[in-house]
Amino acid sequence: MKLEIGNIFIKDIQFASEARIEDGVVYVDKAALEKIVLEDENIKSVTFDIAKPGESVRITPVKDVIEPRVKVEGRGGIFPGVIAKVDTVGSGKTHVLKGMAVVTAGRIVGFQEGVIDMTGPGAQYTPFSQTLNLVMVCEPVDGLKQHDYEKAVRLAGFRVAVALGELGRNVTPDETKVYETCGIKEGIEKYPDLPRVAYVQMLQSQGLLHDTYVYGVDAKQTLSTILCPTETMDGAIVSGNCVSACDKNPTYVHENNPVVEDLFAQHGKTLNFVCQIITNENVYLADKQRSSDWTAKMCRMLDLDGVIVSQEGFGNPDTDLIMNCKKIEAEGVKTVIITDEYAGRDGKSQSLADADAAADAVVTGGNANEVIILPKLDKVIGTLDYINKIAGASEETLQPDGSLKVELQVITGATNETGFLRLSAR
Amino acid sequence: MKGWYVITNNPLVRDKLSGDVQVIYQAVSFEGLLREVRDRVHKGNTLLSHPLSGSVKPRETPYKSVIMMDRKGAVDEQSLALIENAMQACLKFEQKAGRFRPEVDKDFQLIDWTLLESAISSIDR
Repeated sequence: MKLEIGNIFIKDIQFASEARIEDGVVYVDKAALEKIVLEDENIKSVTFDIAKPGESVRITPVKDVIEPRVKVEGRGGIFPGVIAKVDTVGSGKTHVLKGMAVVTAGRIVGFQEGVIDMTGPGAQYTPFSQTLNLVMVCEPVDGLKQHDYEKAVRLAGFRVAVALGELGRNVTPDETKVYETCGIKEGIEKYPDLPRVAYVQMLQSQGLLHDTYVYGVDAKQTLSTILCPTETMDGAIVSGNCVSACDKNPTYVHENNPVVEDLFAQHGKTLNFVCQIITNENVYLADKQRSSDWTAKMCRMLDLDGVIVSQEGFGNPDTDLIMNCKKIEAEGVKTVIITDEYAGRDGKSQSLADADAAADAVVTGGNANEVIILPKLDKVIGTLDYINKIAGASEETLQPDGSLKVELQVITGATNETGFLRLSAR
Repeated sequence: MKGWYVITNNPLVRDKLSGDVQVIYQAVSFEGLLREVRDRVHKGNTLLSHPLSGSVKPRETPYKSVIMMDRKGAVDEQSLALIENAMQACLKFEQKAGRFRPEVDKDFQLIDWTLLESAISSIDR
């Protein structure tokens, strides 16, 4: 499968009466977008705001971050099975509004969701301090249940992102990248001497606020399966997960998965990037057994030499991660796992809730328990009412001078387990 | 499948499941519930759901519901490892349960219930 990604570099976002892209500036028609959001009768009102890198702005509680894209050639449309009708995506040509994001925010439950600071120390921990953000805060109609509110905000974000992506349909991209994978036999013939490598992506799938959708299907109802990695670039996987801000994968990360990107960069040079395998992280132990059995079996059937496994979340998924690692290694396939750590505030505790000797090659996204101080910023988009209710925060979070004492957990993308993050080690 | 039951400290789970499923409700802390689960594992019961389900962290949410199989005999090693690791993991987190405003309590109950519900739907499948 071959996909051309045409990046349109976005330099600014402005509100205007006519929606368009001109010289890298996205002009947003607020009224038109509002109409799109309010198509859902469960949403009472929406406010749009723009947050730019370097501004003294804090966005919270963040639900999802989405990159606007549009399919200009080839089968299907962006977010198949969710917004576009079901059709296999991942081939043809896609335009991307590179440098901007749609950020959805809203209080679905009174704890948990994330923080994006556009300046200061917090900005150094979130990749979304670097994007021009169109933030939409959706208010539910009175009495709406959390399930319905979550779904309404999730889908509204995708509708808005698709509408914005559409503005880029006839814009000439500033940069074009080509991603191509081979069929199984073709790959063996073309790259006989290169190791066969796949990416095993674990998807959060535990319940309300902990869900991921693949072509519109709730991942907890799926068996482990194979994707062509370019499918994810067209929005085949979307996030319904807004718990554990630091190590969840917002939709933006699925669209721009760095493991996929890096494996493509090495494809045909140091390795043969065979495919992406997706598997879930269910609560029920027999589901874990089944999913990890299937993943390991597919690794063997595909005659892989190595896999990279990325996790999403903490605790329950640690067990899936270790099960996958152990079983894949037992099939004779070399395994590298990517995780993050909950090593306590002093960093001295056991990092994961599970372990095995087979997990001998581990990449970490950092310690989510690490404490940082976020200074008071001039403007808040969303609400601070619940800032001391999010993960890693507590009633004592808000300091007398207005600063926040929090664990990295609260920051969107701080310890992302696909490596889509700003932390590194020296 | 027969012989399974839910052990919980979540009153919402108790109320939602009462009559349909065997529920053992204990008004104990998160860690107290994990200890109770461990004691049952020592008696031969096995875990059917993960004791660290959910991304809301231990000591942040006060609620936990676990599905177990009523069984006697040798201790199941996988269940024992899972519950011991879960109890260890609790120690890494600051004690925040009880510091939240009262209205958040209902949200914690709801999330715990939905996590359990997703496991129960797997049993029923």
